[in-house]
Amino acid sequence: MGIQLEHVSYTYDARSPLRQTALRDVELDLAEGALTGIAGSSGSGKSTLLQLLNGILLPTEGSVKVLDVRLNAGEKLPKLAPLRKRVGLVFQFPEQQLFARTLEEDLVFGPLNFGASPEEAAASARKALEAMGLEESLLGRHPLQLSGGQRRKAAIASVLAMEPDILVLDEPGATLDQVSRTELIRLLHRLCKEEGKTVIIVTHRLDELLPYADRWIIMHDGRPVFQGAARGLVDTAAKLPDYGLSVPLSIRCWHELETAYGLQAEEPCLSPAALAERAMQLMEADARKELNLCVKSC
Amino acid sequence: MREKLLIGRLIDTGSQVHRLDPRAKLTAMLLYAAAVVAARSWPALLSLAAFSIAVMALTRIPLGTYLKAAKPLRILMLFILIVQCLAVKGGSVLLAAGSWHLDSAGLEAGMHAVLRMALLVCFTALLTFTTSPGRLNQGLEGMLRPFARCGISPERLSLMTGIALRFIPAILDEAQTIMKAQASRGADLKELPWKEKARMLTALLVPVTVSAFRRAEDLTASMESRGYRLGAPRTQYRPLSWSLKDTCFVAVFVLICLEVVWVGFY
Amino acid sequence: MNRVKTRPPNGRSAVGNQVNFTAAGGKEHVAARMAEQTDMVLLDNVSFAYDGQHEDIKNVCLAIGRGEWVTLAGANGCGKSTLIRLMNGLLRARCGCISIGGVRLESGTVGVIRQKVGMVFQNPDNQFIGATVEEDMAFGLEGMCLGAEEIGSRITRYAMRLGISGLLHRHPQELSGGQKQRAALAAILAMEPELIILDEASSMLDEKARGEMLELLREMHREERYTLLSITHDAEEIAASQRVLVMDRGRLTADLAPRELFRNGDLLRLCRMELPFRLQLAQELEKRGIPPVPEGDPAGTAAYPVTEVMRKWAFNWSM
Repeated sequence: MGIQLEHVSYTYDARSPLRQTALRDVELDLAEGALTGIAGSSGSGKSTLLQLLNGILLPTEGSVKVLDVRLNAGEKLPKLAPLRKRVGLVFQFPEQQLFARTLEEDLVFGPLNFGASPEEAAASARKALEAMGLEESLLGRHPLQLSGGQRRKAAIASVLAMEPDILVLDEPGATLDQVSRTELIRLLHRLCKEEGKTVIIVTHRLDELLPYADRWIIMHDGRPVFQGAARGLVDTAAKLPDYGLSVPLSIRCWHELETAYGLQAEEPCLSPAALAERAMQLMEADARKELNLCVKSC
Repeated sequence: MREKLLIGRLIDTGSQVHRLDPRAKLTAMLLYAAAVVAARSWPALLSLAAFSIAVMALTRIPLGTYLKAAKPLRILMLFILIVQCLAVKGGSVLLAAGSWHLDSAGLEAGMHAVLRMALLVCFTALLTFTTSPGRLNQGLEGMLRPFARCGISPERLSLMTGIALRFIPAILDEAQTIMKAQASRGADLKELPWKEKARMLTALLVPVTVSAFRRAEDLTASMESRGYRLGAPRTQYRPLSWSLKDTCFVAVFVLICLEVVWVGFY
Repeated sequence: MNRVKTRPPNGRSAVGNQVNFTAAGGKEHVAARMAEQTDMVLLDNVSFAYDGQHEDIKNVCLAIGRGEWVTLAGANGCGKSTLIRLMNGLLRARCGCISIGGVRLESGTVGVIRQKVGMVFQNPDNQFIGATVEEDMAFGLEGMCLGAEEIGSRITRYAMRLGISGLLHRHPQELSGGQKQRAALAAILAMEPELIILDEASSMLDEKARGEMLELLREMHREERYTLLSITHDAEEIAASQRVLVMDRGRLTADLAPRELFRNGDLLRLCRMELPFRLQLAQELEKRGIPPVPEGDPAGTAAYPVTEVMRKWAFNWSM
């Protein structure tokens, strides 16, 4: 299960002189129940990749397998509604995603389309609202009357209300302030760990997501150039600048620690607290060793 | 949406046609349209088609691209063909089924209409393929200049069309994203019944309008902060310049107009 | 705090497309500075209300010297964008007095002031007026009634400086966000303003483009020709500037050095900012009994090499 992409290519305007290939021969495997980060500079094909995951775009070559649905290039499509119910896609700008007259209407839009009764829809709307930490008093507001941060959360809640198994987000933090961004990432992390949802986040800020992501995919020029856990990312970090990304400070710090203490293949600590904690441990161990040496030599 | 719309985009091959004065191209376009309307017989239409293909070849854009530009209109063309076939009677009977019969005159009229339409669309595509929207707009302003005395402000008009040309693709893109968001939440326009389709399209209006206003606001701020005032004196970085080539280009179109009319009379 | 200024000229990092800014400083510019020692921006008791009643800007007094690089921080909706829009007359202050480069802002001087002030906005798409980069750059210059030759030479010059010479004939939709903002900045610089205001100009860019934008600002600052005022949430950008203004509900609540801001938890919360990674790390180490390296003592005592490296990192912004 999960998501597999086999030899997937996607070309915009395929049969015109303005053709543009966004993805080339992509092989991907996205684990279920994990929080996956997808990073890459603009134009690396991240957004195109996301839209393949729920059949909004169909591969021009290869096949996309999401849960138990298989989308092959050039073949007749299965009904996409069941897939779209299970894979919730949150677009980059909430303004392009909230189109109803009130927040409540927006939240029940998905569930109603997928055949829920009005009561069920209202219940899941409320649940989604709560999961995103929004107050019920906002339900009657027009989506565009919400603040930037609230709007982001509302957009995610509107997808969450469909109770998807997989939640896919395109740059959920862009244009938000730092505090709201961190808050949002923590919320998504909780959704993944506590409710068992598969969360896929596209971002260009590796540093923010590093302490939370289980797996990483780095896209460059229409291809995944790295996929794996944080450990692997730490090992290949030196290549990141070639892909238009900067090496996150936490990784640079961890490298320092690794070389100084000769650590090998250890699970990296990438949040400030964990990093400081690990540094202290290493230091104390070192001090103890020195002390022992002193005692012996005496 | 934009994926399918080829017409309206610049395809820069740097040919002679690309470098002509936009006013010449606009005038030629008008003459061409007149010629298309005037062409009422096979010789006239075919000579016009041959002439069009020659001009298209001059642009160094593959001919197939023009056909693709006309492709979105194929249903409409088919419709016109059928209507003409049914409506125009005369000549010999080609096909008969009961009281209904297809006449040679009907088929001929239908094919004429389709060919005329295809020519016109391809030629409009030629205009936009070879002229950037900005230049086209400048040409339009230049051509409207004589009307300034009758209360039309060419500057205002060209500013309006310029902004429209600049933002319509962006707004279409945005509408497309919203439709994708709707589809992601179970309302795929392709799979919905007609009545629902209409409802979903109206749901697009609010977010698209709001964002258009936001864009307009941002754009105004950007223009004003760069010192723009309507009616204030301005210079032109790339003033239009009419050369001998432009005169020749227009002259060729005048000739083709005359040719079509002449062929029509004899 | 003059870290940026005092950095040796060869210490410039080699981000792509970089062009020499310092060469264009020119003698006349220095002469102009000598002759006119007034402040670039002077706000005296300025208030503004969108609806005429509830004040969105309350009694702001502010002076920014020529050549300064100032950042403006604060939570969303605190009035930052409103304040800068007052400075070039996009909005009109209800009371108080604004002068830019020694010229008082009045209805008769709006034109002059808009030539002195260049503004780059947040959304790279919506501020693009022309259908190509070149047309967009020409737009402002045509409005200044320059001759075609002068417009052409300025476009070439500034496009080259910002590394967008190859993009001049592109449509904005063919550009990346970073390229669009470069183009926007080029269009502004071509008008040769004295004060450049950036309204969250890098907030919609990806990390790399943001880094490049910051590097551009550094170079412009080094050139000493421009006064920079930038609204931002970006800790790195704030740290690179000389002075931070913090706004809260329409008032200027703080005016301090970036270093001071990062030491002030309350102010940071007010701006909805988090400490930059380095400082968070320093804090965590401090909690565990390792004090930060005191300022001006880069050597330290190298008892534990790694933590030493980390401690230094925390306060070394130029890395």
